[in-house]
This record gives sequence, structure tokens and C-alpha cells, in this order.
Amino acid sequence: MMRIQIAIVCVTLALAVGNLKAADTSPQVTLNVTKAAPRTVELLTQRALLRDYKFAWANLAQALESNSMESLNGLFAGTANTWLKGKVSTQRLSGLSSRYSNQSHKVDAVFYAPEGDVIELHDTAEYDYQVLDGSKSIHSEHAVVHYVVLMTPGADRWVVRQLQAVQHF
Amino acid sequence: MSSSINTACRSPKVSLCWIGAVLLSLAAVSMAQDIELRVPSGAVAGQPASISTTGGGSATFYLEGPSIALKRDVQLGQDIQLSAREIEGAGRYVATICASNCSSSVFFVAAGKPSTLTFLVHPSRAPVGQPDMISGVAFPFDEFENLIFTPETVQFQISSKESKLASHSVETQNGVAWFRTSSGKSAGAVQVAASLNDVQARRVVQQVASDPCRLQIKAQRTPKGVEVQTDPVRDCAGNPVPDGTIVTFTAKNGDQISTVDAPIKQDVARARITAKGTIVISAASGVVMGNEIRVGGQ
Amino acid sequence: MKRALPIVIVLVAVTVLLIFLGATFGRSSGTVGIASGSALPGFSEHASTPEQALSNFLQDVQRRNWDRAFASVERTSEAVNKLDFIQEWTGTNGGLRSFSSLEKYEARPLHATNSEAQMRVRMQWTTPVGPVEDVRDFQLAHRGDEWKVVWNQTPPPNVPAQIVPVNYLRWDLVSGTSNDQWGSHNVDSPHVRIVSMNAIDSAEGTVVMGEVVNEDTVPAFVNVNSTLVDASGNPIDDESSFDKILHILLPKQVSPYRIDFPNASLAKVKNVRMDVKATLVPASSDPVIGIMNQKLEQDAQGRSVLHGEILNQTGETVNIPHVIASFYDNNGKVIWVSDGYVQQALLPQSSQPFAVEVPKSVAGKVQNFHVVVNQYSLQKS
Repeated sequence: MMRIQIAIVCVTLALAVGNLKAADTSPQVTLNVTKAAPRTVELLTQRALLRDYKFAWANLAQALESNSMESLNGLFAGTANTWLKGKVSTQRLSGLSSRYSNQSHKVDAVFYAPEGDVIELHDTAEYDYQVLDGSKSIHSEHAVVHYVVLMTPGADRWVVRQLQAVQHF
Repeated sequence: MSSSINTACRSPKVSLCWIGAVLLSLAAVSMAQDIELRVPSGAVAGQPASISTTGGGSATFYLEGPSIALKRDVQLGQDIQLSAREIEGAGRYVATICASNCSSSVFFVAAGKPSTLTFLVHPSRAPVGQPDMISGVAFPFDEFENLIFTPETVQFQISSKESKLASHSVETQNGVAWFRTSSGKSAGAVQVAASLNDVQARRVVQQVASDPCRLQIKAQRTPKGVEVQTDPVRDCAGNPVPDGTIVTFTAKNGDQISTVDAPIKQDVARARITAKGTIVISAASGVVMGNEIRVGGQ
Repeated sequence: MKRALPIVIVLVAVTVLLIFLGATFGRSSGTVGIASGSALPGFSEHASTPEQALSNFLQDVQRRNWDRAFASVERTSEAVNKLDFIQEWTGTNGGLRSFSSLEKYEARPLHATNSEAQMRVRMQWTTPVGPVEDVRDFQLAHRGDEWKVVWNQTPPPNVPAQIVPVNYLRWDLVSGTSNDQWGSHNVDSPHVRIVSMNAIDSAEGTVVMGEVVNEDTVPAFVNVNSTLVDASGNPIDDESSFDKILHILLPKQVSPYRIDFPNASLAKVKNVRMDVKATLVPASSDPVIGIMNQKLEQDAQGRSVLHGEILNQTGETVNIPHVIASFYDNNGKVIWVSDGYVQQALLPQSSQPFAVEVPKSVAGKVQNFHVVVNQYSLQKS
């Protein structure tokens, strides 16, 4: 009897761990800078871009799921920030929320300005996208979306200034 | 639903019952698929569009876009009008309609006509006579701040008060056009402009003198000490070095040193050195060294 | 309770006895010839020894008992009035001394006869920029049955009323309106470069030092940050140059910087990451301060000291001058950076002495030096 109880506990724990892994919402991001021109992307810049773009998506997902701008941590500026704010406030107004899970981003840097003050990225993003009205799911899909991204350096991080989906690059 | 059908079909007239169940299921499925959304195929940001629906009765319409989320009651079978404001942001939109169940469709909104040019020019202060010193990057946007991704031709022009210095015509690639050019020979402001059709953005670059070409100093003993000053400080192209540039005067008297960091004012840097006895004075500004002079004691 | 009472009585008795012994024999039981004091209140006594006279005098200074302090000194010149005497201790014109107080002192005799004595006093001042040590020699004379401090300090020269012509050179910063579009500001940050960096292990930990230059044509507000990285690439500590740098650099101006890591050992450091931040600031090219008669010498205590005079060549008062000196070896490498605050304000067209110490470990290698002066003016702040 005791053995059965232990076995049940082990199986439950294993399932719980499995569920935790499945619910991992941290975006997977790969960045390829070989196509970047006219300036070559410096190694430290590459690291910072990867870190900040990943954070930006994690924060975006959190903001749109919780309908709160608090989690954005200043990683969005300009148009991207205005749009995101607009979406959060209109979602909140309509009682909607959206969920981005299992994110994977294949990012290519295609333009890096001569003075290093702006970079253009092409992101082929894959994620499970779900729209909820209250707690009721009204739309869910596995989406593959192409994003054109402009990022600019801030005081201590790169910020997303433009995040615009296009049909194709 | 399916379980109730299964329970009801445990009767001798099995085949008839199964046929009925299948027909009912097909009817239900066909009712659910009745709601069909026909989304716009060439929607443009800031221009009204419509989504047509099929079927009948009331339903709830949802739109999720880059900067908007909305929910609205609609009548099936009628067109859903999207106002210009609702599709200002270019990008991917998900339209969903829910009656007994939900149906979704995805469409894209493209950027409109160029309305503004974001123009980044560097540096704002450029030393004269340097190759590839000035660069500019232009992004065309429509009036709703959507990046225009289709190729457009941007005209870059550099001009001084007197004349047009350079002109480049560049087609945007991935929504961006850029140029790089050398700085001119004379100090002063130059205007850098980017234009696309009737849209124009202008920036000003100050071309400044390079490092001093030679520093020449002269000194004179006065009752208060030794007054030392430079000749007018110019770069190798003859441009006056900007006021405020520091010239370091150093006076040596045996193992004693006196130094003054003096700014250039009206092309000349001046300082007073109170060292006594015979002193040797030199001057330097940045990496440039000047002449040395010896001033005798009183 | 009944058992505790005798213990309390014994404790009180012992305490009283100890206080009595301390008051009676405390001073004489200290190191012979060394007088020391602190900010604690005490009683001035009859000065039968030079140490006693100096101690009484410095206690009066500590307590700002100016009447008694001034009355107790023997003046060598009638030109020294009470106001000059007080201002010598309390500072004027918003100088650092105006915001300081004498926390403690330690006096040692240099030589003494029956009629006169010379004492060296190390005074520790508390100031807004941290503790500042001041070493001063006092002459004492035996007059009648008591010793007196001889006050031979010459009064500060008065700055004559005058007009100092200034063709004022300053930079204003106009920031654009908030609705400016991206890219329309078009004013770059000043171009500033670290020209040298040297990391050494000192008694206080790791010290990172070097020089930074403003290569631009506009003034820059500069700060240098440093991160120590270990062998596995992890940061050990990061610090900034804080006040050991000339923050506002005019075009082509060079400043030393020093960054202290008190708790880090250089042996654990694999890499040092440097970062210089420069921002546009409104600035003025005045006042111009000359550093005159700089000389590296050994002082009476055997320490290597760079001393000289700072001379204000313009018409603006510098309330708190701060001297920063970089020392180079024979290869032109920066091997140490010292700094020190001048306690008296630097008045227009006048000078003040300064001295900064060089550690013994580097003093022998010093071939050259460069001194700059940071200026804090109350009007500007």
C-alpha cells in the first residue's frame, strides 16, 4: 500500500514538472547578425540585443495577458510603446486579453546604421496565440508571423521602437 | 451531445438511428460553419474597410490588431464596417466572430503613403576634411507612424549657405535608405536634407575645425608675473579652432612646474604664470605641441 | 532584590573610584609628550606645560569658545585681529572650512626648551566631503608661570576692489520640445575617450586609474565606470570615479580619474571593463585656475608630497577647490592619482596653497605629474 502511495506521489510530481515545462513562457530567440550592414554588429551589442529583445517579448506577453503596462520595464519606446499601450487599454476596455505562449523567434539583423544608433531586425516568430473574452477562449492558433523591428540604444539597454508585422519580408 | 446520441441508439433499429445521428451532427456542423468572415485583402492603414459575414442572427465581433482590441455586437449576414481609426496600425489583424461558436480570420493592413521621414544624421559636429565623416539614415513612415516597407526613392542633399555640396539618390531597402560622405574643407554649418516626393526632413551639421595645426606662443614679464598667450590658433586648413578649446601652458623652473589650462577665447588663449626666476614655457592642445620660449627672471 | 542591593552598591563604589582615578591620573598615564583631544566636553586647566597650553587652546577652538581662545594666544602682530583669528578656524566665503568642524587632534612635540616649544598637530576635521586631515605646527612660549600659543598666522590678504574684465565664454544647452520626432534632436553626446588605464593592487584594495580626454568641441559632463571581471567572466564589482575626476571637461581638456575597489583583490581580476559616459551640459570656461610652483618633496614626516599653489586668474570666487593630481612613471604611464580638498575658498586673483600625498610604494617611480582643479562655486550650484 505504501509503495503504491509513493508511486502515486512520484507520478504526480513527474506530471507537475512536465506541466511546468510545457507552461514555460520564456521566449526562445536566436539572432543572426551576418547580414547586418553597413556596420558590423559588435559582440557586446549582439549580446545586449538578444537579451533585450527577448525581455521585450516576455514583457509584451505579460502586459497583454495581464492588461497592465507595469511589466514593460521601459523596453518599448516611440510607436511600439504607443501601440502597445493602445492595445492594452482597449483590451482592458473590452474585457479581452491575449496570450502568447511557446514563443520562438528567428531574428536576422538586416540593417545596422553607420553610427550604431538604430538596427533593423527581421523576426520570424512562431507562437501559440490565444484571445480570451474574460475566461472564454474565442480564438487560438499556432501563428507564424513576420515582424519588422526597429531597435535603438537607450541609456543602458536597446529598446524596441517599431514592431510591425508584415505578410512577408 | 455525442454521448446522448450513443445512448439513444441502443435499440433494434440501429442502422436508422445511426443515420439520423449523423444527419443531426452534419446539420450542427454546417450551422457552425455558416458564419464565414470575408476579410479585406488589400487593406491600407487609416482607410475604412469592411468585413462581410454570412448567416443570420446576432453575434459578437472581435478585432485584435497591433494597437487595438475591440468587441462589438453585429448582425450576421451584414457587413462589419471598420473605421479608419480602427485600422491605423499596419500589421496583422485577427477578426473573430462568435455566435454559438467562434470563427476567425487573419488579414494584414499595409502602410499608407509616405508622410514623414525619420532622418538620423551623425555627427552633429564633424571635423573638417575627414573621409566618410557624415552619415544619414532615413526611414519613410505614413501619417500613422507605420514603416513603409515598399521601395521608395529618397533624395539626400548636402548644402552650405553658398552652394549645394553633394547629392545622392537612394532607394529604400527593407524600409531604409542611407548615405555616407566626407566632411567639407571649411568650418561652419551645413544643411543635410532627405526628401521623398514632397516630404522633406532637414538637419544641420556643424563642421568644426580639426586639431590645431601649430601652436605659437609669446610671453612677457609683468609686475604680476609672466603673461603668456598664443597666436590665433587655427587648424591646417586655416579654420579657427573653436573657442573654449583648452590650451595647457607649462612653465618649468628647475624642478618646479607651473601649469595653466586656459580656454581659447576669440582665437587666442591667455594665461598668467607667477613663477619666479628664469622659466621655460611651452604649450599643448590635445596631441599638438607648441613652441618653447625662455623668459628671464627680473 | 535583597541579594542584588549589595552588588549594586559595590558596582557604584567601584565606578566612582575608577572615575576619580581616571580624572586624577588619566592624562599622565598616556603616552608622554602626546596631547590628544576629541569633541567631548572637558575643563580647561592652568597651562603649566606646552602640551597643556596647546590642549587648552584646541579645546577652546573645538568648542568655538573664541573669546577665551583668542585671549589665550600671544599675537606676534597687532595686525591680527579677532575676526581674522576666528575666520582662520571657521572659514569664509563658503569655503570647505565653513562647513567643517574639528573632530579630534593629536599633538607631538618637535622640540622644546624651558622658554619655548614647537608642537606638530594632526587635526581631523569632519567635512561634507568626508574626514580631512590637516597638519599644522604651533609655536609656544613660556610666559610667567604659564605656556602660551604664539599666534604668528598672517591675516589673509584682502582682495582689493577691482574690475576684472571677462569676455565671458559659456555654452547653453537648449533641449528640444517634448513633441519632437525621433531623430530630430540631432545633437550628439560629446566625444570623450579614455586615453589610459592602469589597475594596481594597493593597501586599500584594487585601484583603477588613468586619464580621459574630451576630443569634442563642446563641454562634456564625464563619468568613468569600471567593472572588475573574474576568470569565468563574471563581474566581481563595479564602481564609478565619483569625485576623483574633473567632471566637466572643456574641449581638448584632460582629466585624471581614479576608481577604488576597497574590497577587491587584483589577483582575482582577469579583466577590467571600462565605460565612459559623457553628456552635454551647459558650462562656462571660467574661472581659469593656474597651478603654480608645483614640486614633489618629502615633508618633515618623511612622506612624499606634491605641493604648490592654486591661483585664481579670474574674477569669480571658487568656494571649494578640489585638486586632483596624476603621477606618471618614466614611460608616461599613470601610476597614481591623488586628490585633496583645499579648505579655504579661492578668492578672485588670489592663491591658496595645496598639498597631496603620494604613497611610498609609487613615490620613487614618479617622473612627472599633472594637476587639475575641480571648482565648486555656491553661485553655480
